[in-house]
Amino acid sequence: MFREVVAHTSGLQFLMEDLDLRSPMGRRYLLDSKMMSCEKEITAELNLVDRVVKALEWHSDLIAKIQNKLAHLRDISGSVNNLIGNLVLDDVELFEIKVFALVAQEIAALQKEGNSIFLKIPDLSPLVRLLDPQNTKIPSFYIYDNYSKELAEARIELKRSKSKNGESDEDIEALFAKMQGIEAKVREELCTKISVHGTDLANALQQLAHLDLLIAKAAQAKKLQFSKGEISKDKTSYRGVFHPMIKHDLAVQSKEYQAVDIELEQSVCIITGANMAGKTVVLKTLALCQYLFQFGFFVPAAFAQISIVDKVLISVGDEQSEMNGLSSFASEMLKVSSMVKESKNQKNVLVLIDELARTTNPVEGLAIVNAVADIFYDAKVKSVITTHYSGLKSKFRKLRVKGLDKDLGANVITHKNINSYMDYSLVEDFEGEVPHEALRIASLLGIDKEIIERAQDQLASKNKF
Amino acid sequence: MPFLNDIANYRSLSIVGLEKNTGKTECLNYVLSRLRGSHKQIALTSIGIDGENRDQVTKTNKPEIELSEGMIFVTSELHYRQRKLVSEIIDVSTQSTSLGRLVSAKALSRGKVLLSGPVSNHSIKELIADLKNKGVELTIVDGALSRKSIGSPAVTEAMILATGAALSANITQLVYKTKYVYDLIRLQEIEMNLKTQLSQVDNGIWAIDSEGNIKDTGITSVLLIQKDKDKLFQYGNRFFVSGAVTDQFLEFLKNQKQISEINLIVRDFTKVFAKPETYYAFVKRGGSIQVLNKTNLIAICINPVSPDGYRLNSEELKSALQEKVNVPVYDIKKL
Repeated sequence: MFREVVAHTSGLQFLMEDLDLRSPMGRRYLLDSKMMSCEKEITAELNLVDRVVKALEWHSDLIAKIQNKLAHLRDISGSVNNLIGNLVLDDVELFEIKVFALVAQEIAALQKEGNSIFLKIPDLSPLVRLLDPQNTKIPSFYIYDNYSKELAEARIELKRSKSKNGESDEDIEALFAKMQGIEAKVREELCTKISVHGTDLANALQQLAHLDLLIAKAAQAKKLQFSKGEISKDKTSYRGVFHPMIKHDLAVQSKEYQAVDIELEQSVCIITGANMAGKTVVLKTLALCQYLFQFGFFVPAAFAQISIVDKVLISVGDEQSEMNGLSSFASEMLKVSSMVKESKNQKNVLVLIDELARTTNPVEGLAIVNAVADIFYDAKVKSVITTHYSGLKSKFRKLRVKGLDKDLGANVITHKNINSYMDYSLVEDFEGEVPHEALRIASLLGIDKEIIERAQDQLASKNKF
Repeated sequence: MPFLNDIANYRSLSIVGLEKNTGKTECLNYVLSRLRGSHKQIALTSIGIDGENRDQVTKTNKPEIELSEGMIFVTSELHYRQRKLVSEIIDVSTQSTSLGRLVSAKALSRGKVLLSGPVSNHSIKELIADLKNKGVELTIVDGALSRKSIGSPAVTEAMILATGAALSANITQLVYKTKYVYDLIRLQEIEMNLKTQLSQVDNGIWAIDSEGNIKDTGITSVLLIQKDKDKLFQYGNRFFVSGAVTDQFLEFLKNQKQISEINLIVRDFTKVFAKPETYYAFVKRGGSIQVLNKTNLIAICINPVSPDGYRLNSEELKSALQEKVNVPVYDIKKL
């Protein structure tokens, strides 16, 4: 469910908060929605979003009107459940149902009027007739006199005795109690009558929540320049893919985000590259896009062909290992082990591991990377592993972040502007060596010079022997 | 028909009791009964939710509010269910109080209700504005002067104060205490441009420098004044205290040598929690207090009977108080 995914997926929370949802149910609908892995379902949802995106171009006033109405909706699911459970509702609940039904009808009418029925909303007019016996269409409610002659008479009697001065308080109390008794009976009958429409009401509630979400998805896709992903049977490929939250943060500092292209096959892929070259961001973006796609969102890319998976497994090493008393190595290994196990049980997964075995010595670390990659290679698991280790088996497909390849000219790079000189694009790499730019990057960050100098001495003396 | 002509000029009115059982509800019912003849759309609500409980302390009757046909009232869901009249719901709030959401309804018959209402200043203001949009011409707020409540009746344009034997059984004392509140209510409002600026501030002590700019002194509460004394006067002698002004704080200011230049600004009169002696000493030495929101006091109602049955001489009380204040004083039992 979205609720669980959103908590541990970088960028998803950001996008959820950014959604312009108008009704309280829209958010609940999103949080309760399940990750889709059926081709038909995904296509249907994406087509709906696409229709709204198009409508935003041509009929933006209609969408604005619908959104306006959506904002008036209240989440009446509690009352609807009471109704379906054959309970007698109180006046406040009946009021809310009436207001809801009136607004739902208005939205249905707007869709019809604009000749763009995105989602069919059940006809609630029989329900409105019951709750609006005076046919005023005004959003107010009480147990109307029209419901029962007996009630109307009891009320007149009460009024008469109140205006007479002679009547004692007890008499008035008695008349009031009598009137309330009749009112209760009428309310009960009314609830029985409207409970027939309970399912329609529940249905309308879902449809309107869905409509709210659709419009929000479409508006966001348009605003953030997302595109509609296509379903692919084998490869997953993105052109111009970006991480919306990081792009937004960079934009705030008036910096640009360099979108990248990436293609994943039904096998393991290893990404190498210098520090600060955006390897982790690539992994996070891949996870984010996969989720967005399977929750029926457009994706942050210029073009995307995505193959459906049953599960996304990701390890980016920001788990709180201190919390459970494990070292960072131990908690990573346990996590990777469970991911390997899951990929064995359930082949159609996307596995993303950031800097596997980075917290141990490079000799054994490399061995672990090769071993895990080997397992995924043999089992044909769609997986991405980032690493700094050299000496990877040559059979694995490797991608390298270009890094500081751009022509620097006379410019001085600092950690503040490194972003503009780094080339984040990914290239196929056929060598086993990884880039050695750690010291360069570290010196750019302005760390203590002595560290750099001594490290360079070390390397120089090592090379001599 | 006393003071009703005055009410006609305002769009919101609060009725505030200085103490429990000072006749606030009777005063409210009186106002309502008098307004019955006018064709104004009237709405009624209350601040906070202490509703009926308060009178269970003294076990005296708390009269419910008697509404007439056509009046709008706002109360919590719980009290709405206990209403003794026929009414039509016209709105239900989204936010909830501890007694449920707030229900706005129109009375379709005469009858009684218990009122409860929004808790914070902000939500009372919002409610009054919302009622205005619904065509309400006068909103009457059943107010409480309680330190526990964060909502203040001073957000209404006009106010009627209810005082009486429940506050003190000694006429001199009663007049003294009432006069103190009267003086606080009459504190002058600050200039408009400063008011707009200060309305945004919601915590701490702020200073207003000689050019009229507002500056955060960095002191978060008057309770911490002993620790941060040095910071207080860094920008001048004019301050806005967003929270309550305590006895201790006024005492501290009173003892400064530049006392005659000190000008203290509080949100409204309910924020002054100091003893009358301290306040008067502060003023006597030259200090001054102003408010962000001033309300217009239009009358004081007295209830000479205390809940334990003690009865003061109505005429004596009335004339003693009238001598001290510049608004009409009425005995609620004789209206």
